[in-house]
Amino acid sequence: MAVIGDDFAPTISLDGGRKARGNLTQARIRWMILALVIGFALVGGRLVQLGFVETDQRIEGQARDVITATRPPILDRNGLEMAVDIRVPSLYAEPRRIVDIEEAVQKLRTVLPDIDENWLRNRLTGDRGFVWLKRELTPAIQDQVMRLGIPGVDFITESKRFYPAMNEAAHILGSTNVDNQGIAGIERHMDSESVALLQELGLARGNALTPVDLSVDMRVQHVMHDQLTDAMARYQAIAAAGVMVDIYTGEVIAMASLPDFNPNEPASALVKDTFNRITSGIFEPGSIFKTITIAGALDAGAVKITDDFDARYGIRFGRFTISDFHGKHRILSLPEVYKYSSNIGTIRVMQALGKENFRAFLSRMGFDKRVEFELPEMRLPTVPKDFSDVGAATASFGHGLSVSPLHMVTAYAALVNGGNYVPPTLYKRDIAEAEQHYTRVVQPQTSDLMRYLMRINAIEPGGSGSQMNKLALGYRVGGKTGTAEKVVDGRYSSSKVTNFFASAFPLDNPRYAMVILVDEPQKENPQSGTTAGWNAGQVTGRIIQRVAPMLGVAPDFSEILDHQLTPSVLR
Amino acid sequence: MIRRINVFLILTSILMLVGVYMLKFSIEGTAAERTALQGFISEQEGQLSLLQADWAVLNQPAYIEPIVRRHQAELAIEQVRQEQFGAFEALPMRPAKPDTSALDALFEAIDNGIDPIDAILELEGID
Repeated sequence: MAVIGDDFAPTISLDGGRKARGNLTQARIRWMILALVIGFALVGGRLVQLGFVETDQRIEGQARDVITATRPPILDRNGLEMAVDIRVPSLYAEPRRIVDIEEAVQKLRTVLPDIDENWLRNRLTGDRGFVWLKRELTPAIQDQVMRLGIPGVDFITESKRFYPAMNEAAHILGSTNVDNQGIAGIERHMDSESVALLQELGLARGNALTPVDLSVDMRVQHVMHDQLTDAMARYQAIAAAGVMVDIYTGEVIAMASLPDFNPNEPASALVKDTFNRITSGIFEPGSIFKTITIAGALDAGAVKITDDFDARYGIRFGRFTISDFHGKHRILSLPEVYKYSSNIGTIRVMQALGKENFRAFLSRMGFDKRVEFELPEMRLPTVPKDFSDVGAATASFGHGLSVSPLHMVTAYAALVNGGNYVPPTLYKRDIAEAEQHYTRVVQPQTSDLMRYLMRINAIEPGGSGSQMNKLALGYRVGGKTGTAEKVVDGRYSSSKVTNFFASAFPLDNPRYAMVILVDEPQKENPQSGTTAGWNAGQVTGRIIQRVAPMLGVAPDFSEILDHQLTPSVLR
Repeated sequence: MIRRINVFLILTSILMLVGVYMLKFSIEGTAAERTALQGFISEQEGQLSLLQADWAVLNQPAYIEPIVRRHQAELAIEQVRQEQFGAFEALPMRPAKPDTSALDALFEAIDNGIDPIDAILELEGID
């Protein structure tokens, strides 16, 4: 342009006879300018056109990014990996680029013999641009397929979830599907929280995701899983489950339910009976519910720790008579009612409180609704809205209502931590954070009395927790057994029972609460029994004996600690 | 004058053209290098993710316990019992002053050629 302009400037200063030639030049210049403008317009137009073109990054209807999307690693409270992402090759084909379909089918089947021949042939025939052949293979198979040298067949690296602990924390972690989306457990919860959003925004790429810290301690989790496996074999039970929480923060330290599944093979989760018995199993809790009844009555001031209750005769409700399992047939003090697990005594305690007040106390303890918890696998408890006289009587010792073990452990935590109900969580949480969720359910004095009752049940002769205490000596454990008879053909069966042991330790300064469930246990040997003390109680003892040192609880055999638990009126 | 400028400009544009093409090819080379590096990095990341998964497996209590059980007899290890735990408070206080007479007796014994430690070792059957 500049060159032309330079040429042009002197021309227009010419006049007269040269004008004609000048006009011609001017016309030429105009044509030149026009040509240039058209040229630039063409280039500009093409640029705009290119700008509108969307390159198709999708693979069979999914964005390529989604397939390689990663999930944050899940760590336990000490930083040990519970779930990590690994990169695995997935085999795909571009049918339109395959030259000899028959050759490709035969060659691929030498490396991957489990692929159906006809399916593979159909898959490779056609004019499609992308089809999956097999996803999530091993690097060794990738190598072998590459060596076959089939054109139009290639690999793409996908992220796959891997759970190094295998079965151990299966119900906590849940699992993910082949597209890396959480389908159960905490994985599902994470998706509903944040990960799905991150992946959608395209931020969840690479390994830069902040790890998720769970409250679970894998060492304790391992011991619990190990002991429950042992219990399944030892007592020939059909199921066993356990949960331990930190009573002040509500953090779940361990939670296991057997039979379980391997989250690395999500299909194994579909096997019957592998559901999470802690959150989505509801059971009649049996005698471990007496703790709740007595706590309610003590808190309301309806009974005192020094009161006596007449347990000489069964209580009649119309045609029914409710009596004790191993009846003492005498007048029992309140600690004895608890220790000997007297149904009659507990009914009298409930009657002193009044059935409406008792029902209201159950609501206060959260037995009406689902426990606030991260896992999606939850079931509503079934507690009658109103109690009849006999309904309230059976409910006082844990029959005629069904709650989950998670309800029980949360309630026990509230009863021993000074009376604050704190919803459990699977994420790490400190006390200051947990205090914002506190709801006061009983007075601190009631909490002190409950600690005392739970402890004497373990240390005094005849207490139902003594089996447990023999194993966990020195760790100041206390708890309550519960042997709930199952309903078989509409009647309570004495041979099929669900056994519970709800406990807390170390009771001089409690930190942890635990509920153990053993379903339909048999006698270990002819000298033992099928009541909860023999199985759920012993499992609790064995677990605490192993985990207490890990949790920083040192054994202490001095009796003064137990004496200090005794309320001053009883000393 | 104008002709010279024109020649100069044409030469410059040719030079620029050559330069642009050289730049283009060098960028293509760099881009290829970059793609290769990215591939290499992602391959390494893939291997790293496998190693991390391996490491996580090897660290699991569920993996370690069977190994411990296998070697339990050989290494004479047992699960810790409650009685084995001690506390600093349980240690006896330091004696108010050293037991000089006992020390004197010890040195005298050694001077006389009797080593009490040796005697203990012999009693225990340790050489």
